[in-house]
Amino acid sequence: MRLRIAIVGCGKIADGHVEEIRKLESVAELVAVCDREIEMAKQLAVRHAVASVYDDVDTMLAKERPDVVHIATPPQAHLLLARKAVDAGAHVLVEKPLTLCYADSKALIEHAERAGKKVCIGYGYHFEPPAQTLRSLIRDEALGEIVHLEAFYGYNLDGPFGAALFGDKNHWIHSLPGKLLQNTLDHPISKITEFLPDERPAITASGAVRRRARFGDVRDDLVDEARILIRGDRVTAYVTFSAHARPVHHFLRVYGTKNTAHVDYNNRTCTLDVAGTLPSALGRLVPAFQSAASYAREGVKNVSMFGKRKFHFFVGFGELFRQFYQSVLEGTPLPISHRDILRTSWMLDEVFAQVTPKRDGSGRA
Amino acid sequence: MSVRPCSVLVTGANGFLGVAVVERLLARGKTGIRCLVRAGSNRKRLDAVLDRHAGADVEIVGGGLSTPEAAARLIEGAPLILHLAASLSGPAADMFLGTVVASKNLLEAIAASAHEPKVVLISSFGVYGVAEAPRGHLVDETTPVEPHPARRDNYSQAKLRQEQLFFECRAKHDLAFCVLRPGVIYGPGGGAFSSRVGIAFPGAFLFLGRNNLLPLSYVDNCAEAICIAAEKARFDGDVYNVLDDELITCDEYLRRYRSEVGPIRVVRVPYFATMLLSRAVEWYHRHSRGQLPPIFTPYKTRTMWKGNRFSNAKLHALGFSPIVSTEEGLRRTFEYLRDKGRG
Repeated sequence: MRLRIAIVGCGKIADGHVEEIRKLESVAELVAVCDREIEMAKQLAVRHAVASVYDDVDTMLAKERPDVVHIATPPQAHLLLARKAVDAGAHVLVEKPLTLCYADSKALIEHAERAGKKVCIGYGYHFEPPAQTLRSLIRDEALGEIVHLEAFYGYNLDGPFGAALFGDKNHWIHSLPGKLLQNTLDHPISKITEFLPDERPAITASGAVRRRARFGDVRDDLVDEARILIRGDRVTAYVTFSAHARPVHHFLRVYGTKNTAHVDYNNRTCTLDVAGTLPSALGRLVPAFQSAASYAREGVKNVSMFGKRKFHFFVGFGELFRQFYQSVLEGTPLPISHRDILRTSWMLDEVFAQVTPKRDGSGRA
Repeated sequence: MSVRPCSVLVTGANGFLGVAVVERLLARGKTGIRCLVRAGSNRKRLDAVLDRHAGADVEIVGGGLSTPEAAARLIEGAPLILHLAASLSGPAADMFLGTVVASKNLLEAIAASAHEPKVVLISSFGVYGVAEAPRGHLVDETTPVEPHPARRDNYSQAKLRQEQLFFECRAKHDLAFCVLRPGVIYGPGGGAFSSRVGIAFPGAFLFLGRNNLLPLSYVDNCAEAICIAAEKARFDGDVYNVLDDELITCDEYLRRYRSEVGPIRVVRVPYFATMLLSRAVEWYHRHSRGQLPPIFTPYKTRTMWKGNRFSNAKLHALGFSPIVSTEEGLRRTFEYLRDKGRG
């Protein structure tokens, strides 16, 4: 059986969905795209040769009867659209954040469970090759017991997205409860959640605005630096969001009792930190070469994947969708558990409750 | 938002071309100029123009065309709209949002307005479909537009759809508009090389244009053409190519760049080699299922680098004449690029 897939929301991330759905043609067929702005639906359909376009989700659901609906709209519409899709008999894959708050996320998941439908979230990075390598290392006990986690997510506000949200004070980002952080912190916090067993860890968060104030309105209040300490029973974590640190980092470090792993999502590498084992000055001399060799191995692995045509930009999406569709078709576990989705959502609420816009010490914005 | 009455609204007024248009309007003694400027953008060049015309009757309006309501507020009382705003780069969805959806919102606002403003739409040579035309084909306003948008770059696709929306609006609401299709707009403040000349890669410039004519339009000449069209066009959906009179070849442009700006490492690629490369890139894009983007395809190559001739006769018939010669335009541009390189 091939699943009938529809996409609602035809902004730039929808391209990644289309590209990766198309690679799963043995199990999935993209039947329609929908956007309340029909020109956006049309442009996606023209570029990717999608048969049907809609500007009304109810009409699309009624006519196409999709098995799975991907929701890639701004977050404010996720809950409403996901419920509609579930009510129309579809499973849903929702872009992050799942909804605007924990209560809504819980309500959506419970609604889907009552209807016998599955809900998943679009954490594509969790399924990229280095993230899979990290899971193998942990499964093989190469790291030992996890002691501490450190996630860093950088963002460049000088790019097109920054221009869009600073160019329009009515941009959808400004009406999110967590503003810019709500669109970004899912990335690092969800990576922590997977390896933090606690249901309700203690959270201490602070945020700052480092940019200079330019507008005299809500745009000046966007928090662009955040630091979050998460304290579980046996594992702690530290999350950094920075719009100013360069280069723009995106990594997860997992500190174990045996080893520390470093996953670089930008460069697609997963390496183990090297500890000097030789005595004296040699112990300071050799590790740099061991680190270099470790990165060289990752580089060769990436070249090999490129040669095998498995190194696409949205490769993580591809693996996530494959596992989700398999879960729908064969009843296998979801690629991301509802428990992890909800714990991430709860932690985000805690962070947003603590972070309020503050100028940094220099008085700059 | 309360806005003053005005004689002309310029969307995209802070862009490379927009600043020149504002300056030309002022030079022609226009008053009541309303400039739509994206909030938060760097206004250094526009401010310099306003400084040169101290006391000019110019209103700067921050905001955008993100909704028909926002557009309605912007066009309030404006009898003429020079529509330059467009997204020139970025992901496809962003380009369509900034070019097509923004224009759709503008058109909805115009259709709903009582005062029926006239519009000069700034489109692009990119809308022409010349892939199947023979080498040396004369591109004038009768040349058909692109029949296969999906085979072209995102910018051309967005500009094509934008034009279509205007023609659809004319059919439905009798919109008074004309279309200007500039070639390669160049000048101080702009880029060094159009993709018609070639593509810059790290360490080398892939020179693809060879001895093809370059459809140059010096930015001040393009701005002048817009002003002329605003005064003299029929506004019945009439279309005008915008380019200068004295066109040079890509070879000549590159030679002068190297002589007046500085040396660059150039890899000259003959047309047959570009076609071979295009076939290889297209094959790999399909074979790898999109692992690398199809920057080159035979269709794009035939469109961009096969070589055409260009006509601006229709614009001349309106009364257009370049105000800056190509020689002077190149001198100013290369001087700017040389200084920028030193800076």
